[in-house]
Amino acid sequence: MTLSGRFVLLLALGAVPIVLFGPSSGQATGVLALWVLLVCVLGGIDLALAASPRAVTVERMLPSRVRLGESVTSELYLTNTGRRRLNAVVRDAWQPSAGAGQNRSRVVIPRGERRLVSLTLTPFRRGERRVEQVTVRSPGPLGLWNRQATLNAPGRIRVLPPFHARKHLPSRIARLKELDGRTSVMVRGQGTEFDSLREYVRGDDVRSIDWRATARRNDVMVRTWRPERDRRVVILLDTGRTSAARVDNEPRLDTAYEAALLLAALTSVAGDRVDFLAFDRRVRGRVQGASGAALLSQMVDSMALIDPELIEMDWAAVPGQVRSITSQHALVVVLTSIDAAGASTGLLSVLPQLTKRHTVVVASVLDPATVLAAATRGGRDEIYRAASAERALLDVARVSAAIRQLGADVVTASPAQLPPALADRYIALKAAGRL
Amino acid sequence: MSATLTSPTNAATPGAGAAGETTVATPTLRALLHRSSFWMIAAACILAIAIIAVLVSGGSQAAGRALAGDNAAPAGAMALVEVLGQQGVTVTLAGSLAEVRSAVGADSTVLLYDENSYLDQSQLRELGGLAVRTVVVAPDFLALQALAPTVGFGGVSDAETLTADCSVPAANQAGELVPGGDTLSIPEGGDSLVTGCFASGSETFSLVQVANETTGGLVSLVPDPRVFNNENVTGYGNAALALGLLGPSDALIWYLPTLADLPRTGPPSLAELTPGWVTPVLVLLALVAVAAAIWRGRRFGPLVAENLPVTVKASETMEGRARLYARGNARLRALDALRVGAVQRLARIVGLGRLAHLEEVIGTVAQITGREPDRVRRVLVGAIPVSDSQLMALSDALQALETATGQAVRAGAPESASPEFSTLPAERMDP
Repeated sequence: MTLSGRFVLLLALGAVPIVLFGPSSGQATGVLALWVLLVCVLGGIDLALAASPRAVTVERMLPSRVRLGESVTSELYLTNTGRRRLNAVVRDAWQPSAGAGQNRSRVVIPRGERRLVSLTLTPFRRGERRVEQVTVRSPGPLGLWNRQATLNAPGRIRVLPPFHARKHLPSRIARLKELDGRTSVMVRGQGTEFDSLREYVRGDDVRSIDWRATARRNDVMVRTWRPERDRRVVILLDTGRTSAARVDNEPRLDTAYEAALLLAALTSVAGDRVDFLAFDRRVRGRVQGASGAALLSQMVDSMALIDPELIEMDWAAVPGQVRSITSQHALVVVLTSIDAAGASTGLLSVLPQLTKRHTVVVASVLDPATVLAAATRGGRDEIYRAASAERALLDVARVSAAIRQLGADVVTASPAQLPPALADRYIALKAAGRL
Repeated sequence: MSATLTSPTNAATPGAGAAGETTVATPTLRALLHRSSFWMIAAACILAIAIIAVLVSGGSQAAGRALAGDNAAPAGAMALVEVLGQQGVTVTLAGSLAEVRSAVGADSTVLLYDENSYLDQSQLRELGGLAVRTVVVAPDFLALQALAPTVGFGGVSDAETLTADCSVPAANQAGELVPGGDTLSIPEGGDSLVTGCFASGSETFSLVQVANETTGGLVSLVPDPRVFNNENVTGYGNAALALGLLGPSDALIWYLPTLADLPRTGPPSLAELTPGWVTPVLVLLALVAVAAAIWRGRRFGPLVAENLPVTVKASETMEGRARLYARGNARLRALDALRVGAVQRLARIVGLGRLAHLEEVIGTVAQITGREPDRVRRVLVGAIPVSDSQLMALSDALQALETATGQAVRAGAPESASPEFSTLPAERMDP
C-alpha cells in the first residue's frame, strides 16, 4: 500500500474546516479527528476499489545478446487476470547499467486482456545485465491510496564487447590477400607453400621458373606461392590485476579484447586456427576448435562475462595451459601489460619455455598520457612529471628489450593503435613465414 | 519508455522460456502478519508489562501532599478522612476557594491547611465567614491576622504532657495530645471569646478556639499538623480531638489551597491569546508531514543491486613518482631520467644503435649540430643542477639539443630516415 500526493493534499485541506468550525480548542480537536477519520475512510474505500496488482501475469521477451553501445527493445507483456480494470504504473527494475532510462510507464489493462510495455535498453557496461522484478502500482478510482506489488519476472541480456576495431579489418584483409599469389620474389621462403603453376610473364623472378613443368608444357611456367595455412594461433589474455587499470578511459582488458577480436577475425580469414584463453590464476574463458563466424561469436560470448580479477597473474601455469591447447608450433600472442621490471619478472621467467616451442608476441598498451607527459616541460612540477614519465618509458623499454632478448616479439601502442598494430605484426610474421 | 496497446489476438507470442505463472514477491497482509506475529506479540507483552508496572508503582509511591485527604503516606490524612466517612460524615476534598464556596452548606465544617500560604487576607476572611465551624491547621501569620487577631505565636512546646484542661468539649474528650509541636499564645487577660486548651505554659496553647460574636461561627486553630496525619492520629487523644473538631456536622470540606487560589495578575498569556484552532492545525500539519514522508519515501519496488567495476587510472604510479621527486627535490635523479631518455632518442636520431656508447653519441651529435663536444657533454651528463631554475634550464637545453639534432639530420641527410623505424609506425620502438 502506498499513499499519493493527492491524499497528502486532501489531508492538508483539513486546516480549512478546523479554522472555520473550531472556535474553541475542544471543537477544533473534534473537527480534526473527524477530518482525519473521513480522509482515512475515503482512502480505505479507494484501496478496496483498486484493482489488484497481484492478479497480473508477466511475460518477457528479450534478445539474448547485444553489442555494447547498441540498443535493444525489451518487451514486457502484462496480462490482467483480475476482476477489475487495471490502471497502473509499472516499473521494470533493470540494473542501472542496462541503460533503461525512464523505466516507469502507465498502462491501462481491461479485465482479461494483455498489454505490451516496451523499453529501449542501451547498456553502457559489458557483461550480463539482469532484471529480476516488475513492480506494479495500482491506484484506486479516487487516486488516494495505491496498491503495490512486486512480481518476479527475471530476465537477462548479455552485453558483448563492442569490437570497435573491426573498422580496421577490411584494410588488413586486403593486405593479407596481397600476400596470396605472390611470386617468390616477395614471399618465397620458409613458411610459404606451393600454390600453383602459371605462365611466365615479364617481371617474374627467373628463379621461380619450374623447369620440369616448362619442359612438359612447352611454355615457360613459374611456380606461385601462397602463405602457409592452417597454422595455430593461441591468444592468451591476462585478466589479472594489471588488466583493470584504465588507459585512455578504457580498461586494459577491453583494449586487449579489441586486439584479440581483430586478430581472431584476421586469422580465421587467413585460414589459421585460433584458440583463445583468458587466464589469471584459473581459466576464466576458453574458446577452442571454433572457426569462421562461430569463433567470433564464441569469443565475444566468453569475453562478455569476464571482468578483471584483483589478483596477481600466475605466469608459472601459463606454459602448461598453452601446452594443453596445442603441442605443435604455434604463434602465442600474450596480451598483458609491460610495466616495471619488478612487475614483469613472472612473464620474463616463463618466456624461455614458450619461445623454445612457439613464436611469441607480447602485446601491451602504452599509456599515451605518459608519452605526452614526457614531452611536456613547462614548470617545475611538469619537469618532475616528465622525468617520472621518462622513467616509466625507460622501464617499459628495458622490459621490452629483455623480452626480445628471450626470443619473443613486443608490440606496444596506445589503446586505439594496439589492435591494428598487433594485426600488422601478425601479417608481417605471416609474410615472413614465421608462423 | 512507452506503453503501446496491442489486442490479445495480434500480440507477439512471448518466448517459450517465459514463465506461465507469475509469482509475487511482495508478501500479502496475512503473510506479513504471520511472519511478524512474534514481534507483535512481544511488543504487546512489553507494553502490557510496562503499563502494569506503572500502575503498581504509582499506587505505592505517590508522595502526595501533607495532610491530603487521599494520601495514604505517613504525612497524609487519608486515615482520618476514611474514619470520618465511616461515621457518616460526607467529606468533600476541595482544592480552591471557589470549590469550598460551592460545597459549603448551612451546617458544614471546613478544614483549612494552607501549607504554602496561597491565600491572602481577604480570602482567609471570606473563608472564616463561610462555615459554622472552621478548623485551621498550622495557621500562618496572615491566617491569625484574619481569623484571630488577638492570638499570637507561642513557639515550640516544651511540656512533657499536654492535657486539655479547658472548656472545649472536643478537647476534654481527647484528654491528652501528642507532646511537642508549635503552640499559639493568648495574651493574659485577653478576649473572653478566645479559649486555649492543652497549655504548655501560662500563655501558650496547642488548641485555640475563637468564637465569632457576629456570625456565631467557631474557628479552631490547631498549630501542630501532626495531630491529624496518618502517622500520629492514633496516638494519645489525637483521634478523639480530630473527630470532635471535624465530626459534629454531616458535611466536612477538606480544603487544601492550591495555585488556583492565587489571584491572577499581569497581561494575558500567549496561550490565552492564541485561537483554539492553532493546536489542532499544528497536529494536522504534523500528520501531513508524516503522510508526505510516506508518500515520497515509499519505494517503487525494491532497490536493484549492481556490482561496479574497479577503476584504476594507469598513470597513477607515474603521477605518484613525480610527486615524490618534487617533494624530495630529487633534481639530479629526475634529470638523469630525462637525460637517459634523451641520449637514447639522440642515438636513434643520429643512426647509432640502442647499445651505442655515450661518448659515441656525444661525438656524433656534436659533429652533426656543429656544437662543441664539451657543451654537449655538459648538457647530457656533466652539469649538476643545484636549483630548480638550473634544472629547468638543463631540461630546456636537452629539448633544444634534441630538436637541433633532428633538424640537422633532416637537413643534412633526408634519406637517412631509416626504413627500420618506419615499417611499423604504430609501434613504439625502444627509446
